[in-house]
Amino acid sequence: MEQTQLVRFVLNGTKRELTVVRSWTLLHVLREVYHLTGTKYGCGTNDCGSCKVLIDGKATNSCSFPMHKLEGKHVLTIEGVRDNPKYRLVPEAFVRCHAVQCGFCTPGMVIAALGLLLENPHPTEHDVAEALSGNLCRCTGYVNILKAVLDAAGRMEEYTHGQ
Amino acid sequence: MDSDVPVILTSIGDSPSNKESLSKALGSAQYVDDLPFHDLAYAALLLSPHARARVVNIDAREALQMEGVLAVVHCFNTPARRYNSAIRFYSDDSPCDMPKTERIFDTEVRFVGDRVAAVAALTEEIARKAAQLISVEYEVLAPVITLEEAVAKNAPLATDFGVDGTNICGGAVAYGNDTEESVLRQVRTQEIVHESHFHAARVHHGYIEPVTHVAAYDDEGVLTVWTPSQSVFSFRDVLSYVFDLPQSQVHVVKTIPGGAFGGKLEVMHEPVVAALAMQLHRPVKLRLNRKETFAASRSRHEALLTISSGFRVNGILVSQHVKSLLNTGAYAGSGPNTVGAQSGKTFVQYRAESLFYHGCPIYTNSPIAGAMRGYGCPQIMVAREVHMDQVAHRLGLDPVELRMANLLEPHEKNVLGKDMHVFLAKECLVKGTEMFGWEQKRRAAEADRSGSRRIGVGMACAVHGSGWYGVYQDMTVVTMLMNNDGSVQVLAGIHDLGTGARTILMQITAQALGLPLQMVALHDADTRCSPVDLGAQASRSTYIGGSCVLKAAKDIRRQLHEVAAVLLEVPQEELSLLSGCVVHQDSGRSIPFGRLVDAAQKGVGGSQRQIATVQSFASEMAVYSSSAVFVQVCVDTDNGEVEVRQVLSVHHSGTPINPALCEAQVHGGIHMGLGYALSEQMETDPNSGALKNPSFRSYRMFRSNRMPRIEVYFIKTPEESGPYGAKGLGEIATDGVAPAVVNAVSHALGNLMIDRIPLTPKTVLRMIGKIT
Ligand code: FES
Ligand code: FES
Repeated sequence: MEQTQLVRFVLNGTKRELTVVRSWTLLHVLREVYHLTGTKYGCGTNDCGSCKVLIDGKATNSCSFPMHKLEGKHVLTIEGVRDNPKYRLVPEAFVRCHAVQCGFCTPGMVIAALGLLLENPHPTEHDVAEALSGNLCRCTGYVNILKAVLDAAGRMEEYTHGQ
Repeated sequence: MDSDVPVILTSIGDSPSNKESLSKALGSAQYVDDLPFHDLAYAALLLSPHARARVVNIDAREALQMEGVLAVVHCFNTPARRYNSAIRFYSDDSPCDMPKTERIFDTEVRFVGDRVAAVAALTEEIARKAAQLISVEYEVLAPVITLEEAVAKNAPLATDFGVDGTNICGGAVAYGNDTEESVLRQVRTQEIVHESHFHAARVHHGYIEPVTHVAAYDDEGVLTVWTPSQSVFSFRDVLSYVFDLPQSQVHVVKTIPGGAFGGKLEVMHEPVVAALAMQLHRPVKLRLNRKETFAASRSRHEALLTISSGFRVNGILVSQHVKSLLNTGAYAGSGPNTVGAQSGKTFVQYRAESLFYHGCPIYTNSPIAGAMRGYGCPQIMVAREVHMDQVAHRLGLDPVELRMANLLEPHEKNVLGKDMHVFLAKECLVKGTEMFGWEQKRRAAEADRSGSRRIGVGMACAVHGSGWYGVYQDMTVVTMLMNNDGSVQVLAGIHDLGTGARTILMQITAQALGLPLQMVALHDADTRCSPVDLGAQASRSTYIGGSCVLKAAKDIRRQLHEVAAVLLEVPQEELSLLSGCVVHQDSGRSIPFGRLVDAAQKGVGGSQRQIATVQSFASEMAVYSSSAVFVQVCVDTDNGEVEVRQVLSVHHSGTPINPALCEAQVHGGIHMGLGYALSEQMETDPNSGALKNPSFRSYRMFRSNRMPRIEVYFIKTPEESGPYGAKGLGEIATDGVAPAVVNAVSHALGNLMIDRIPLTPKTVLRMIGKIT
């Protein structure tokens, strides 16, 4: 039998306790245990970014994050973005800027963008291109995605000041 | 053009966001891997480690004994019917033969990655482990791995499918406006004779969603398959043929594709999940990992092209011969069709006295090639546009000038005697030359050739059709139904791949009926409830699908007028549509659609009926979209790296229905073309036949920090036959990009002759003699 372990963490604001098998990745748990299917499996090898989530505010590939290392951490998935009025400005900017085509990369892109904006609210286009370079998109040539992230930066700023 | 359009509220030319984009961005849109199923079993494949071998025996006992394993299928316990995974219609009668070469599992494996067996188990992990426990006895055969080997004189055979004891798949495609001999003779007798060879590597679609399918088989005997298909009706037809089921008992659901680009146009492992589901009577899901997705899916045909042309010294093309060999891999698939589609491009770009195309798909023991955005066109465009630049250089002409002298004009008859309709290639070129500052940029680049970093400026023209007209019966069907409140329900056979095809067809419907967009719902392909369609391919969704919804909307309009004329007691000719009402202009009286629907249901103006229609649309002509692509690069002659600094792509695809979505298509096409030119290739080990780079780390698609500045411009002149003036765009978005990049690199390196892509740093260093 594979070794198991109890892990406590916070998922989209809710405290969770889960007995996990050592080989489980965070992506596996999100999709198969919690049915949070907004986080996508694109490669499983840490190369495409479609599985990105925020772990303690940092955009991280969940396909390569072992579950047993999640103890005490806060995870935010795309489903959590959806329920947060400020964070939601990011996916909405993607829609407005026509940055969504097949959409398979989009949740991961949104997370990577959010990770950047939380750390650097006023990124340049160059900053955005660097921050998203771990996320592959085959549909958009990234053009509208970069626009969307800059647009979201502006709107998040306005939102913060409006509070 | 539709002359009688409602006056207000034009949604043509507006850019509403792609349908489903919010649910996609919020993660709530469900792709096939996200769909919930009760009692789901998971499948895993055992893929061949050999490039060619006979399967002598399979012993699955150990795998079956593993806890959680439910079934093992292989060539000794599944139906053996051979099919062609790329058929379009049940009775595929394309002029190109479409050989049936594939089986669910065969007693011979023909490439590294070919299917040997599959396991279904309670979890994916168990299925994968069990697959490795299947013991297979192989008799290893000598493979033919490379295209060069396969076309050599007296080449050994890669498969037993070739015609007349060769590796040619389905036969050669050879035609022109004269005999091959005469065309070659005419080429040789011109003032300037130029011949060039070009090799374009095999590349992958690189969709981010890995290959995934689910199948279920219910107690009524219905087989349902969920898959991100680009052509559900052909999938249904293949499955019904393989399993000998009536088509009425096979249901194929197109799930939201996570990228397709032609890669999901052909049946892949759907028959495997279907076989497992039918055996187990429970749903089965197969999700390949990325490595398997590279090895066991489809790819773009590797190509070897030879182009020979005869020019006059003034740069006028007199005669051209194109020879093309496309590596179709181990199975026929769409090889013959791809050659056929490529052949057509020979005749529809430049004027000449004589042109001839001779191409063959070639079998090798390597991964299967198939449809990929452009479908044979990117290969011929890169070879020919690079050839054109070489000729321009020999003649001392500007590359733009040479093309201006030879591009076909609108409504000119091409060498095969066909009208080019609204073909604005020259207009694209003129516009691009001016927008890009072509001459200044060229001169500036040439002025400084001192340092190790060299600037190059290049361009290319491209052409693409809109639909399969001339090859297949290119038709589609739309059902349109009015709801009781005057909103409209459209069931269309088209397949939206994320391009925005649904949104565009909804805009056309809204425009034709004078309705706001929210009053239109459009459902795309599903074999159970949508009418038939040929699939998302050949840049046909807007041109063919759009024409069909327009035709249906006009019929709905006629029916609404009929009822309104009775109620208002006026002649139908005096009526028009405005904001969801039928209006009588003279009296100013109007009736909302909802009331007309109600009246029809009560029998006003005829029997009690629904306002509804089913319309078929068949394309009756070939129309061509065009592009001119301009590129600036910087080549580092120390390390061979090519940095693309700027791309301008000027297009004519008729009138863009949704300009923002059109632009977005071109952005993606440029991305794909850049990788094709510079960084992407599926590297196959020439001895073992195994893929050397089956991961997103080693298969290099452009990342966000490597993208150049991109500009897109549309010439909006309507195509006369198109719905609201539109024609195809999806493929031409990528066709002209690679040649423009290659020409720019050549320019940077002093008009160096380039004969291959991708131009990786190593290739560049080799070309300039820095390494051997
Ligand atoms: S799925 Fe995690 S990086 Fe690709
Ligand atoms: S939108 Fe398709 S991969 Fe990014």
